[in-house]
Amino acid sequence: MSLAVRIIPCLDVRGGRVVKGINFKDIVDAGDPAEAAKRYDAEGADEICMLDIDASFEERSTTIETVKSIASQVFIPFTVGGGIKSLKDIDMLLKSGADKVSINTSAILKPDLIAEASKEYGAQCIVLAIDAKQDGEIWNVYTHGGKNKTELDAIEWAKKGQDLGAGEILMTSMDKDGTKSGFDNDLYMQLSKNLSIPVIASGGAGELSHLVDAVKLGKADALLAASIFHYEEISIKKVKQALQNEGFEVRL
Amino acid sequence: MHLGVVDYGASNIHSVARALKSLGSKVSIVDTPDKFKSIDKLVFPGQGSMGSCVKKLNETEMINPLLDAIKRKPFLGICLGLQILFDSSEESKENGLGVINGSITKIKDINKENLKIPHMGWNNVKIEKKHELFSGIEDKQFFYFVHSFVASNTETSITTTHYGEEFVSSLATENIFATQFHPEKSGEIGLKFLENFINWKI
Repeated sequence: MSLAVRIIPCLDVRGGRVVKGINFKDIVDAGDPAEAAKRYDAEGADEICMLDIDASFEERSTTIETVKSIASQVFIPFTVGGGIKSLKDIDMLLKSGADKVSINTSAILKPDLIAEASKEYGAQCIVLAIDAKQDGEIWNVYTHGGKNKTELDAIEWAKKGQDLGAGEILMTSMDKDGTKSGFDNDLYMQLSKNLSIPVIASGGAGELSHLVDAVKLGKADALLAASIFHYEEISIKKVKQALQNEGFEVRL
Repeated sequence: MHLGVVDYGASNIHSVARALKSLGSKVSIVDTPDKFKSIDKLVFPGQGSMGSCVKKLNETEMINPLLDAIKRKPFLGICLGLQILFDSSEESKENGLGVINGSITKIKDINKENLKIPHMGWNNVKIEKKHELFSGIEDKQFFYFVHSFVASNTETSITTTHYGEEFVSSLATENIFATQFHPEKSGEIGLKFLENFINWKI
């Protein structure tokens, strides 16, 4: 008996509304976040992730309201990411009802933030999010929503994150994100080999087999996806049944 | 029915309070010694280490009213709220509350499965002994766990779960019930469990 593979639908939120678009272009309104979270919960989501896609200081209060609204209606683990810069931001989100926070750019600019947050709130609520793009044999880390290339190697940065106190790694493959051509299983396999903390795979889900392969070949502990679940192209239940057929433990 | 959720200043008590409120309960936060009096049932969600928890309970002078409440009122300990009931833990040199005999140990990877610690995620809960708090809940349902230490040996065990080793995922003795899992994060089944606690008559 082992832990169930977790299926995590992600809500991209802007100004208190779920938004959808292709590669963050042509963004359209796609509904109320709490309603969407409730629907995912009822469909069997193991966790909910909310990403504030352009969280700015001015919009912080809207984000907090959205977090509160989701947390008052959904009783499964709830991760919030986007624009987190300080312990104060983390404190506010946790107090508003987030169980975990996902930190990306700020962790690179200030790695101590991961260490301090982990010490203060526990590793279990600190998720290090990494956006990576393949370049030959390695994967480079990008910041600011994939805009800026860094010199960091994604595998090395994930290991460093683990040492600093991150409890999980959420790795998004920029090569695969939005392509619906399958996950970057090489990347996830490399990560799993090098880490002792759980790996959440994100980017590339298009078909049922892609999700199964990310667990089978990529050894991912959890799968995160936005659009396939949002547009009901594939149901959470179907993913779990497919994983179960392959002998993986799932919560059905 | 007035439920109290103990806040000793280090744990995320809000999700428990929210879940209980969603079930229609009157919920108050208990963060000073005088607030224990008006409470009918007590929930103790814990986070962090046994040592820091006991230290904080001493600092806030809540340890005696808490021990008193544990003796008389329906009590639900969650996560560290289970562990702290024991005599001691490998995690801390400070002793626990000593309500239940035994000690808490680090999760053992008996079959060398290359386990990730903490044990974080959804795992099966096997019902070993019938209890009111599990009424309407089938055997081997998934509950949500986040922890690195376990109770593995006690006569008070109600359910067990396997991760590296078989450990006690919930226990009960008289008016006390305690879970290693987080019912407040275990979806519909977790809410059913909390509802059973609200309706629990001793």
